[in-house]
Amino acid sequence: MLVYFLRRILWAIPVLWLVATITFFIMHVVPGGPFDREKKLPPEIQANIEAKYHLDEPILIQYSLYLKGLLKGDLGPSYKYVGRTVNDVISDTLPVSIQLGLVALLIALIVGLITGITSGAFANTIWDRMSMFFATAGISIPSFVLGALLILIFSHYLKLLPPALWENARSVILPACALGLAPAAYIARLIRASILEEKHQDYVRTARAKGFSEMMILLRHVLKNAIAPVVTIIGPLTATLVTGSFVVEFIFSVPGMGQFFITAVTNRDYPLIMGVTLVYAALIVLANLLVDLLYPLIDPRIKLE
Amino acid sequence: MIISLVFIIALCVISLLGDFISPYAHDLQETQNSLASPSFEHWMGTDELGRDLFSRLIYGTRVSMAVSLLTALSALFLGTCYGAISGYVGGRVDNWMMRGIDVLYAIPDLLLIILITVVIGRGITGIFLALSLVGWITVARLIRGEVLRLKENAYVEAARAFGATHLRILLRHILPNTIGVLIVTLTFRIPSAILAESTLSFIGLGLTPPAASWGTLANEGWKALKFYPHLILFPSLAIFITMLAFNFLGDGLRDVFDVNQEK
Amino acid sequence: MNRFLALLIALSLGLGFLWVANQKEESGNFSAFRMNLSSEPPTLDWSLATDNVSIRVIENLMEGLTEYDAELRPIPAIAKRWDVSEDGRVYTFYLRPDVYWSDGLQVTAQHFEYAWKRLLNPKTASEYAYFLYDIQNAAEYNAGTIKDAALVGVKTLDHLSFQVTLKKQAVYFPAITTFTATFPQRQDLIEKYGDRWTDPAYLVVCGPFLLKEWHHEYRLTLVANEDYYGGRPSLDRVIFYVVSEETTALTLYETGDLDRVTLPPIAIPKYKSHPDYVQAPFLRGYYYGFNVEKAPFDDVRVRQAFSMAINREEIPRILKGGELPATSWIPAGMFAHNPTIGLSFNLKKAQRLLTEAGYDSGSDLPPITLAFNTDPTNRLLAQNIQAQWKRNLGVSVLLDNMEWKVYLGQLKQDAPQVFRLGWGADYPDPDNFMNLFTSTSGNNNTRWGNPDYDRLISEGASELDASKRLHLYDKAQRILTESDAPIMPLFFAAQNLLIRPSIEGLTINAMDLLSLKKVRLKGEIH
Repeated sequence: MLVYFLRRILWAIPVLWLVATITFFIMHVVPGGPFDREKKLPPEIQANIEAKYHLDEPILIQYSLYLKGLLKGDLGPSYKYVGRTVNDVISDTLPVSIQLGLVALLIALIVGLITGITSGAFANTIWDRMSMFFATAGISIPSFVLGALLILIFSHYLKLLPPALWENARSVILPACALGLAPAAYIARLIRASILEEKHQDYVRTARAKGFSEMMILLRHVLKNAIAPVVTIIGPLTATLVTGSFVVEFIFSVPGMGQFFITAVTNRDYPLIMGVTLVYAALIVLANLLVDLLYPLIDPRIKLE
Repeated sequence: MIISLVFIIALCVISLLGDFISPYAHDLQETQNSLASPSFEHWMGTDELGRDLFSRLIYGTRVSMAVSLLTALSALFLGTCYGAISGYVGGRVDNWMMRGIDVLYAIPDLLLIILITVVIGRGITGIFLALSLVGWITVARLIRGEVLRLKENAYVEAARAFGATHLRILLRHILPNTIGVLIVTLTFRIPSAILAESTLSFIGLGLTPPAASWGTLANEGWKALKFYPHLILFPSLAIFITMLAFNFLGDGLRDVFDVNQEK
Repeated sequence: MNRFLALLIALSLGLGFLWVANQKEESGNFSAFRMNLSSEPPTLDWSLATDNVSIRVIENLMEGLTEYDAELRPIPAIAKRWDVSEDGRVYTFYLRPDVYWSDGLQVTAQHFEYAWKRLLNPKTASEYAYFLYDIQNAAEYNAGTIKDAALVGVKTLDHLSFQVTLKKQAVYFPAITTFTATFPQRQDLIEKYGDRWTDPAYLVVCGPFLLKEWHHEYRLTLVANEDYYGGRPSLDRVIFYVVSEETTALTLYETGDLDRVTLPPIAIPKYKSHPDYVQAPFLRGYYYGFNVEKAPFDDVRVRQAFSMAINREEIPRILKGGELPATSWIPAGMFAHNPTIGLSFNLKKAQRLLTEAGYDSGSDLPPITLAFNTDPTNRLLAQNIQAQWKRNLGVSVLLDNMEWKVYLGQLKQDAPQVFRLGWGADYPDPDNFMNLFTSTSGNNNTRWGNPDYDRLISEGASELDASKRLHLYDKAQRILTESDAPIMPLFFAAQNLLIRPSIEGLTINAMDLLSLKKVRLKGEIH
């Protein structure tokens, strides 16, 4: 167990290194530089700025400088936000994304499990149809449309919730819904399919033969096994949710980290692009590891390799 | 499922014959009559430049269907090749190929898509390449799993005993058995490609105007939700019904092929 | 399984709502003005700030030698008066003796000298260093050809007199000193705190407001400076929220969370009759440029024909924001604005010019691409212009949109045949608009150059006599938009705002500068 754990942790290092390398070089292939502006700079000034950030060095030198910093845990200065390091930017915004992401995860799990289980338990009834209709709606509405719709209904007409900003606990509800409903729909579909499949297993027939009620079988046996695929996706899902979403943060003015997946690219803020990518990658690797560790607890049939 | 199939076929027909169906040219501007609500002349109203939304939606059908079908197919192709080789060869090669996927999986999709679209450039090709390059990873994992399972079957052993080449075994005996998984995957990848394309439009990396897709139309419309709801209602409905159709078709096909998968 | 699920739910609940406890709701009666910024301010260091978001915050924290009045004329601020030498090259500014930094130190000429030399120092790598390039040896020092900062033409005469020597006469110079990049700075603090000197904990200013809090990516809170030399402002607080999405900002205005908001274009028609609606001109021009080295635009007649084939009256109908159609380049509200200049809509003449250039019909032309950076306004307009060229000249033009930085790179390396650009005033003088297209300008992407034009612009910059100056710019504009036509101006922009009626004393000026020191709140207190 411990050996397995250590081996996985060690494996994370080359993964992160490769992620860093790939991103670094793709990023530099992208045309346009961080200091290109509408009002053009005199070449002298452009040269001064590039020298300040080592952008005048050959690309391989820049790469090795970056890796050196990375080993020390230094993600470098942000090109766009003067005087702030990428570490600063991430430590300012990641906690917000984590808060929002966890609430969204909660919504996704509660809504997803309830809908999915209802659907699976009463397969091919009107409840099933309705739940699946909802689930399809959830994955087919673009998140920006969903966000705009939520604001219009709950803030504008019903005046129940704040439309945006990040002032108090009520601020989190709408963006968390906008973020969590699509995964909720996905979880619902997943758990439904999984329940239907488990229902054909031998042990269910045995239980039925023993005279257990359908409800009892569902709760005691089927669900226990059907939950496994959900656990598998919870890992990467959590990592995605807590690193934030550009669309949701943009529409609801949430000061989270997700915005940088886009704005760091449009600003060509190279160190920030690297920073958010590495945080995301590290969380994905960590989440998958946790899932693998949890797996045997949920399903005793599975053992770690 | 039948309804879904009929609907999807209808969509394909609309895509092909769009020019004959649409009442106006998709780029005809009547600036005097911009942002008009739905009426007899314009069933779905007009947009900011006074173009007929119904005609634009029909035009968009072709673009959206083409982009999503192509990306889904190419993601499927790439993913199948990678997954099949990895699963069939197995051992150390498999191990390394899967680790490679781990790395790609750890790079945020959206970031990768943006970087690729910006590098490759504008228009349909950029979007198509970016979406396919991101989409194949899950397919590869899926197919690898299938191949790992199938290659243990007795008939593969038998074929090998008769001296069939690896390529022949893979192409003739293993891959045909994954066709069910592939078709089901396809029906799920198409809708997600439609959505991904709309997100790209949102970020400003969508199609070059005056071309339109459902994604660009939804993106032009969502800000007007409160003021001109027709601009967002119809594109959203089109996306929604299509997703519904593909999903039901996928579920139906899964039952037909008895495929045990979801992911 | 159940235990695991319970654990997970408890965990998310706990973490998700932990911050609720941390969130302190600030209460108390204070008058606050709340508005949105379109992005996080990249920096509050006024030597490095180049974007309007940062400048919006800085202009309320700091003050310079001069400031604009409501008509955008430079008037005394920290400088109580200034002298100009006979030849117009030497400016001497005399500072008010009663201006103090928020840590109690007096503002002196040394602070200006330090700030200007810091701006020009190549190590500072300031993008706006060129604002001071009119000063003797400034450009050379910034480029590194002169190493000694003492040679730059700025000098502290005594601690309240500051002297500037220009390379040559520049009539707009007192307008330059209103600009945030020229505000004074404290060497002791910048050296002590390095890059962090703009943190709320360290930032020392001398303007009407002080920076209380800077919650990155979210909110900046300013409080009234009790010791401001112009008298304590009436507002207790100014709160800037970072809200990038215009529609969201509009909703926040309607829910009462913001006091001033810019209307998104799509909403303008619906708010035209709203009591809070305000429309004001904007010193911002929008044009299409031609790359004069690429066929068919190497022929001036084709450029003229393309410009004449556009009915600019359609533009405000599409964009709906009160845009002023334009055929000339110096915007309305600026000296030397002359709407009679330029090529107005004339179909017959446009077709004749095209024929003369050897293209009997539009289909004879080589393929033409119109490029723009991706943006809803640019998208709309480009599609309309494309349709007009098709309709009026029979020309099929392809559109090409690019992401902003890619677009800028493309303009620099290989400008497309037709490209869109705009220009917003840095200072309200025609020189700022007209020198864009001199043959040496880095902002001239047309590859066009005309020595006559260059000479007119150079003379215009130093001409003191208003009527002579007007004449020079009229001549220059005729070359730019009529006889040589390397660009076709399209419109001057307008501002479309909602401002809460309880806000008094908010002047809206054509450069979108927003000084809040005179703003008062009527009646209600938030």
